[in-house]
Amino acid sequence: MTNHYIDLKNSDVILIMGSNAAEHHPLAFKWIMRAKDAGARVIHVDPRYTRTSARCDYHVPLRSGTDIAFLGGMINYIITNKKYFRDYVVNYTNASFLVNPDFSFKDGLFSGYDAKKRSYNKETWTFQNDANGVPLKDPTLEHPQCVFQHLKRHYSRYTLEKVSSITGVSEENLLKVYEEYSATGAPDKAGTECYALGWTHHTTGSQIIRTMSIIQLLLGNMGIAGGGINALRGEPNVQGSTDHCILYGNLPGYLKMPTASLATLGQYLKKNTPTCNDPQSANYYQNYPNFFVSWLKSLYGNAATPENEFGYSWLPKLDDGKHYSQLHLFDRMYKGGVKGLFAYGTDPAVSSPNTNKVRKALEKLDWLVCANIFDNETASFWFGPGADPKQIKTEVFLLPAAATMEKEGSQSNSGRWVQWKYKAATPPGDAISCGDIQIRMMDAIKALYAKEGGPNAESILNLKWDYKDRQGNMDVLKVAKQINGHWEADVEVVDAGQKKLFKKGGLVPTFGMLRSDGTTSCGNWIMSGSFGEDGENKMARRGKEDPTGLGLYPNWSFAWPVNRRIIYNRASCDIYGRPYNPKKKVLEWTGDKWVGDVPDGPWPPMADKEKGKYPFIMKTDGVASLFGPAMAEGPFPEHYEPLEGPLAKNPLSSQLINPTIELFSSDVDQVANASEKFPYVCTTYSCTEHWCSGALTRWQAWLLEMQPELYVEIGEELARELEIANGSKVKVSSARGEVTCIAMVTKRFRPFIIEGKTVHQVGLPFNYGWLYPKDGSDSTNFLTPSVGDANTFCPEYKAFMVNVTRI
Amino acid sequence: MSGKIQNMVRVTDPIERIAHWLLAGSCLFCLFTGLGIMFRSWEFIPELLGGLYAVKWMHIFSGVVFAFALAYAYVMWKKDCAFEPDDAKWIAQGGGYLWKTNNLPPVYKYNAGQKLFFWFVVVFGALIVLSGLVMWNPTAFPIAVARWSYALHALSALVIGSFFVVHLYLGTIGNPGTFQAMTTGWCSRAWCETHCPRWLAEREKGSSES
Amino acid sequence: MKKTEYIKLIDTTRCTACRGCQVACKQWNEMPASRTRNFGSYQNPPDLQWNTWTLIRFQEHVDKNGDFKWLFRKDGCMHCTEAACIKVCPSGALYHTEFGTVGINQKLCIGCKACISACPFDIPRFNQETEKVYKCDLCYDRLKGGQQPACVLSCPTSAITIGEREAMIDKAYRRLDQLGGKGVVYGDKFVGGTHVMYILSEDPAVYDKLPVKPRIPASVILWKNLFKPFTLIGMGAVAGMAALHYLIKGPHEVHEKKEGDE
Ligand code: SF4
Ligand code: SF4
Ligand code: SF4
Repeated sequence: MTNHYIDLKNSDVILIMGSNAAEHHPLAFKWIMRAKDAGARVIHVDPRYTRTSARCDYHVPLRSGTDIAFLGGMINYIITNKKYFRDYVVNYTNASFLVNPDFSFKDGLFSGYDAKKRSYNKETWTFQNDANGVPLKDPTLEHPQCVFQHLKRHYSRYTLEKVSSITGVSEENLLKVYEEYSATGAPDKAGTECYALGWTHHTTGSQIIRTMSIIQLLLGNMGIAGGGINALRGEPNVQGSTDHCILYGNLPGYLKMPTASLATLGQYLKKNTPTCNDPQSANYYQNYPNFFVSWLKSLYGNAATPENEFGYSWLPKLDDGKHYSQLHLFDRMYKGGVKGLFAYGTDPAVSSPNTNKVRKALEKLDWLVCANIFDNETASFWFGPGADPKQIKTEVFLLPAAATMEKEGSQSNSGRWVQWKYKAATPPGDAISCGDIQIRMMDAIKALYAKEGGPNAESILNLKWDYKDRQGNMDVLKVAKQINGHWEADVEVVDAGQKKLFKKGGLVPTFGMLRSDGTTSCGNWIMSGSFGEDGENKMARRGKEDPTGLGLYPNWSFAWPVNRRIIYNRASCDIYGRPYNPKKKVLEWTGDKWVGDVPDGPWPPMADKEKGKYPFIMKTDGVASLFGPAMAEGPFPEHYEPLEGPLAKNPLSSQLINPTIELFSSDVDQVANASEKFPYVCTTYSCTEHWCSGALTRWQAWLLEMQPELYVEIGEELARELEIANGSKVKVSSARGEVTCIAMVTKRFRPFIIEGKTVHQVGLPFNYGWLYPKDGSDSTNFLTPSVGDANTFCPEYKAFMVNVTRI
Repeated sequence: MSGKIQNMVRVTDPIERIAHWLLAGSCLFCLFTGLGIMFRSWEFIPELLGGLYAVKWMHIFSGVVFAFALAYAYVMWKKDCAFEPDDAKWIAQGGGYLWKTNNLPPVYKYNAGQKLFFWFVVVFGALIVLSGLVMWNPTAFPIAVARWSYALHALSALVIGSFFVVHLYLGTIGNPGTFQAMTTGWCSRAWCETHCPRWLAEREKGSSES
Repeated sequence: MKKTEYIKLIDTTRCTACRGCQVACKQWNEMPASRTRNFGSYQNPPDLQWNTWTLIRFQEHVDKNGDFKWLFRKDGCMHCTEAACIKVCPSGALYHTEFGTVGINQKLCIGCKACISACPFDIPRFNQETEKVYKCDLCYDRLKGGQQPACVLSCPTSAITIGEREAMIDKAYRRLDQLGGKGVVYGDKFVGGTHVMYILSEDPAVYDKLPVKPRIPASVILWKNLFKPFTLIGMGAVAGMAALHYLIKGPHEVHEKKEGDE
């Protein structure tokens, strides 16, 4: 979230799209209801009518996987009807930048496409620079090569008619949403967007989010109270785990994982440290070396020295151009290329796409280590349906782990609040925390390496590993403090003209003080400042003061970065630092300082040509990107059909599917696009009552009582056509597998008219597995394809094709 | 000895007496327990019997006994209690209980009052049993049936209870000599001549014939 | 002691059917789950049970304008002022608490089931094994301890709130105003006022299992107000009459025929 949960109450229009907030973020919905009480409009755009729809002002159904078309139409509407916030667009975005004249877009493809590699050469996705290397701009936004004109041309193709035909949303409903939402382009109005897995679980997931970002920038909704783009992340602690690098390409704090071609620290830092020639851009990532070297110091401690590049060479490196996502992992495993797997707190035999492939892949492992609070389908795959234990040689270890309430530590919410929590109960039996499991395992590994040596032994032997208390258990505070960072030497710092001496071993008060010379160590730079210099654990703060009245609660827990509650908050003010909406002041420049939230840097607003800075300090150019060349698919999002859909041709271009997604080609990766055998669009989701694969919640009798078994939601029209009775058993099948479940015939699913044809959509939750309950059916992911987003490889769970038959 | 026997007539057989007392006993017990359940002020009843929960089951149990006894009594006495034209006259004169009358029609075995009592007991007894069965398991019945069963049960109790008192009075001190009919089974000839002359005559005729 | 009457207000226009309340109730009251099947609805268990004192009812409804609505109603005891269940309860197990709510003391319950049929809202449920009746007691123990009921505490959207009677009635009507009069306040106009009230978005008749004009059933009134007293009055009167008869007319003596009369 750029903003935070409580801030939802400050919104005037809340667009919930790609999220079933009421069911999956019940507490977020509390604040949405507060906004509604204050008169906000709440709109739900979603393939299904859900419990969220029931509480919104209205619900607009759209065909699953067509969000970019829907939002592209909104961009077109905003530009043609001049609903954008011009001042904001000109000053705070790259709308005025002139694009490389060689950049082009033709029939669904941007310049530089390599069909063989299914990827782009991004050479032309650049700006025209002046002699100083600063991008050329046209503040009138009229220059045909400026970003704004490109944007306008690109989305002019997204006419109401076209969008309606792709999405299945009536033109009337499109207009209703567009009009209402784009009204937040007024300076004193805030519109926000709440999304979740309904957007990320697509082959075009990242680009859907980007399309919305463009809308938010056009309407001036970024950085303001009640605005932003808000990924609702929940109990799985996605926020915390991504902050701490759950994704294979990241290191803690979103630093980049090194690749093999970056052999030296110097090469690595050069590649990842952006430079900018515009003096008004803060380009905060120029501090990248400080963050990275401090991280190496936290990893290797005293063994990391300038002479050995702080141990850079010991780090494992990714092969260039190779990916290591879960999809790749199981593909490789299926082909016999993986020996062992640690599956902690996860149940891929239910939750990963293409269950048949996943379960077969597990059979090819030599060993599998699971750590969970209950047994699950992954740990028990070897005696599951269709598995022959006699033929399976995988050795499986199931370690009993402590549950979240059984351990102390931090938990991050979507609003980037890192909240400290205490242990409520002692774990039963032999169960210990995953941290303790890790520590004991690593101790043993270190001992083995010390004794026997082995490949890359230094990276293990040099690992700083001092996170234990006197009893030899994990000391979670020690870990947290190392994440915050320490001084590795006595250092004198000049801060605001004052000299100050920091002692070796003391806590670093903020990431602004991290250094690349080895005098600081920090496990995750964005978390630096979570402890005070004096050792105060700011994550444990529980102050209820709310000086701005906007619900920022600065003394409640710690929010990264540096306790900033709304990021890009300098963009809530005009170039002189006057708030655009004086009624909801996030920040205000008083002539010598900012008051309100923690500002994005202390510099004056950008009207001060000397000391002032642009508001988007984390962006190299200091402004937000309408033109976003970092994306795999192109700088402007474009609608492509899902890998499997009802259409044989993309109505917008001859590019049917996302041209940059990786296609897996094993024998079990079958695809059936626009096939008569699988005529219905299918989407999958979770339900309130269960949590993810249900591996935790299915064992909870009260929850199981409410949602006892797998069901498929079918509209009344389709049920009538197929003569399926409500509550009867049916079979749902795709090109990859099938499941049996209960038909839930409902008025909440209605057919769409797509390109003149009636298209039905059905949906299933993915919360069930064969292990328990025995009569609750099995994984919905037998149906889903192993394909993912081109940037993140987040799997496509939300749009594919199935058939439904009576049994 | 023989003289005594000569003066006495056997008016009931043991089966009849057992049935009567089963019916009367269960009825009385139901009434007693029922009142104990219905009136919280009569707490002494559940206290006496070991608590309200026990009383509930006692009530149900004696209700079942009552039901069987009633069914048996019905089969046994329905012939003797069938109404005949003379009964109207008897009733018109209040059976001679309320004012002096001289021309009461001669009664066969049971007078019209007794017959009335019998039929009231049969009808309301059946109602109380049936409604009681519904109340035992009300959720198995439509809600209206269940609800009205409670009212009906209470109404039937009211009717049966009141008649019971009349019956008690007339069967004991109201009609001296009657009570033996349900104890020893023997009543005096004179009693028979008063209360069931036609039956006596028929019986004596029959016995002289044989 | 001054009585503080409480009302629990259920604002169905805020409810997201997350069923936090349904689980919280089970948790606080330590009620076990039942093994259910999906019968083609999110609603589960299908109905209130002895171990399910509150239940979110899911209902798909198309209104007069043809607009689709998914209605959620948290069902459970309404805590009537004129409570039919208390009226018929012989054991004193059901009673009015000092908060005006209807408590239930399972120790006293004899499982006669009278309350089950009497309740106009079809709330009490019988447990075959314990032979007792169960229902929501508005978390009497928690209220006594100055705590909110478990369901209220669990509700993320403040669809359920509790407070003093007058204030809550006031709040209900203010909310109705906020909704532009689109809705119905349910609970203050019958059975002497209930201590659980609803704000409904639709007409009460639309909702499954919600009586439009709930009242103590006529059968109960007849039974309790007429037949019950008359049982004693009737029996007493008849006994009195018999005594009078005995005194006035004396016993009906058998006129012994003298020997030789014939
Ligand atoms: S709703 Fe039913 S159970 Fe609850 S108080 Fe009213 S009559 Fe009694
Ligand atoms: S008030 Fe208490 S007993 Fe009643 S429904 Fe709520 S949690 Fe359950
Ligand atoms: S907890 Fe609140 S929102 Fe959730 S189902 Fe209950 S009443 Fe509705």
